[in-house]
Amino acid sequence: MYTKVVLVKDTDLKREDKTREFYTRFLEQLRENNLHEQIQVVRVADIGVYEQGLVVKILPEKITYINVNDSDIKRIIDITFKDGKVIEELNFKPKARQLRVVLRNCGKIDPESIQEYIGSGGYLALKKVLTELGPQKLIEEIKISGIRGRGGAGYPTWMKWDFARCENTLDGKFVICNADEGDPGAYMDRSILEGDPHSVIEGLIIAAFAIGASKGYFYIRAEYPLAVERIQKAIKQAYDYGLLGKNILGSSFNLDLDIRLGAGAFVCGEETALISSIEGRRGTPHPRPPYPSVKGLWGKPTVINNVETLANIPIIISKGGKWFSGIGTATSKGTKVFAVTGKVKNSGLIEIAMGATLREIVVDICGGTLSGKPIKAVQTGGPSGGVIPKELLDTQVDYENLQKLGSIMGSGGMIVMDDDDCMVDIPKFYLGFCVEESCGKCAPCRIGGFQMLGYLKKISEGNGIPEDLGQLRRISQAMQKASLCGLGQTASNPVLSTLKYFETEYNEHILNKRCPAGKCNSLVTYNIIAEKCKRCGICATNCPVNAIPGDKEVGYSIIQDKCSKCGRCFDVCKFKAVLKK
Amino acid sequence: MNKLTPLDLEKMSKEPLDKSKDWIKVGLSSCGIAAGAEDVYNFFTEEVKKRNLKIEIRKCGCAGACYAEPLVEVSVEGLPSVIYGSVNKDVAIKILEKHVISKMLVNDCIFEVLA
Repeated sequence: MYTKVVLVKDTDLKREDKTREFYTRFLEQLRENNLHEQIQVVRVADIGVYEQGLVVKILPEKITYINVNDSDIKRIIDITFKDGKVIEELNFKPKARQLRVVLRNCGKIDPESIQEYIGSGGYLALKKVLTELGPQKLIEEIKISGIRGRGGAGYPTWMKWDFARCENTLDGKFVICNADEGDPGAYMDRSILEGDPHSVIEGLIIAAFAIGASKGYFYIRAEYPLAVERIQKAIKQAYDYGLLGKNILGSSFNLDLDIRLGAGAFVCGEETALISSIEGRRGTPHPRPPYPSVKGLWGKPTVINNVETLANIPIIISKGGKWFSGIGTATSKGTKVFAVTGKVKNSGLIEIAMGATLREIVVDICGGTLSGKPIKAVQTGGPSGGVIPKELLDTQVDYENLQKLGSIMGSGGMIVMDDDDCMVDIPKFYLGFCVEESCGKCAPCRIGGFQMLGYLKKISEGNGIPEDLGQLRRISQAMQKASLCGLGQTASNPVLSTLKYFETEYNEHILNKRCPAGKCNSLVTYNIIAEKCKRCGICATNCPVNAIPGDKEVGYSIIQDKCSKCGRCFDVCKFKAVLKK
Repeated sequence: MNKLTPLDLEKMSKEPLDKSKDWIKVGLSSCGIAAGAEDVYNFFTEEVKKRNLKIEIRKCGCAGACYAEPLVEVSVEGLPSVIYGSVNKDVAIKILEKHVISKMLVNDCIFEVLA
């Protein structure tokens, strides 16, 4: 039986992987010291530390040594294994750690089993609310916690609830869970719904109790079939256990929950459009005020909360608002889940306490870029957010800080970009998305977005003039001020933030007709460097438009008129003989 | 099913989650399923039956490391709990033969050590 486990991994991506060599050497030395039957050495695929040379982790002590050399093995065996001491100069203390509050059960419990949710403390918050707290104290607790809406705008949750609670109506109020997640590259809500559906249901029941609603809806997009299925199952289980329906947990509180499927329109994540959609009308926003907490679904007071906000509620009640407000920064409390994607090594969901820096998230937790190229920028907040350049990666993430930089927290999408990403192409993509998703009801968004996209296309095709940048700024301003809903008001953020931080790159496109990242096809040409070409012909066989004639005798060259600029030749050439510029 | 009272709920919450000490959890959210987690889950349940192993195969949601799906968490007495990533049938066999039966961690497949 082993008493210790030693994990080894070479985290230096720039050289050939030395894990195997090191592993063998470590085993040899353990054998020499006759420790090989007590200590097991394991090569791992990921050790949670990046760019720190050879990393050794010792369990159960959880000691991590970085930049370890072959000569250190003897020290580790003598000092750490035999004397039980830590070697300080090799010791690594992790800078950033994930903190799992919302994702507490994701990956831990069976999402289709209510027993497992209850077994991990589930629905005890609901019990506490029903038997001890009552609506007023409950809202007080949420106020102490300081939680703000996780859907994007960051409105204090307790205020929404309090407004709706204070409304006196005889014929009902509503609660809605907004699970219409639509930002490209963001999927936190889906993962929570699929991994821990009961926590969201419990949060929604508590919200309903707080405001005195007797009917609630889940608004989920139909593109999330598994999430819908799991919520459906979870609702049924909750009914079976008396956690939904009449006299919940023996109290006088009644609540019915239902699911409404969205057809996947981005604008339906906006609360007034979402309400229209549930009412069976076309999903278009209408002016606020009146806010939904006063006049919402069917004209009744309605609270609409995001999935992540609701998943936070049970744990706030269980552990207390004070506990929650102890996490995070002065204005932004608790944790935030981010979906980190793009050119990052470890893409996936991470949850951190508010106030962690972008660098901690992207480099320390997610391992930096996959290509090993430097990070150029990080995009947060999806189509409503902005691009944050690498110089500002040490910014602490919270609602205010991101807004100051011209981005937003948004629902939690985070896209990492490296030097191959073009800062004209990125806003073009996001704006294209917003133009496609604009409902067309108000002119600033419908026409402004379309016009801006036209300017961006013009610039990326090499036909831009310096005055275009001024036009982009002017239209942005008009859209921000005059659009009816959040979609139009924020659609120009990607353009404005790239203009703010990467204006030189726009100018390069306009004045020098050059795309530094090599992304804008019209501005890129491919050529074969004759001196480097080994005449293997792989580019010619791979060219989809037969634009590379030639043979082994005369060599190969690209016919520019025929070239579709797909970049296949550049990718397949093993000798780097294709020049892209 | 009888409706729960507050007392029942309290009692239920104290029941231990893990019916057996040794278990394997397969992450079965969209990301895992897209990467082939369902096959891995079925493979585990069949193999465990075939070999008559005393280990429980369970389901769970996504643990977050989407780049390494399918993710499989293994907890066996005497070994630290670990998450194996990019699990396919080959890795699954190694997990059963090496980790579960011989009580040795499998090389090159561990993405996270929990404790």
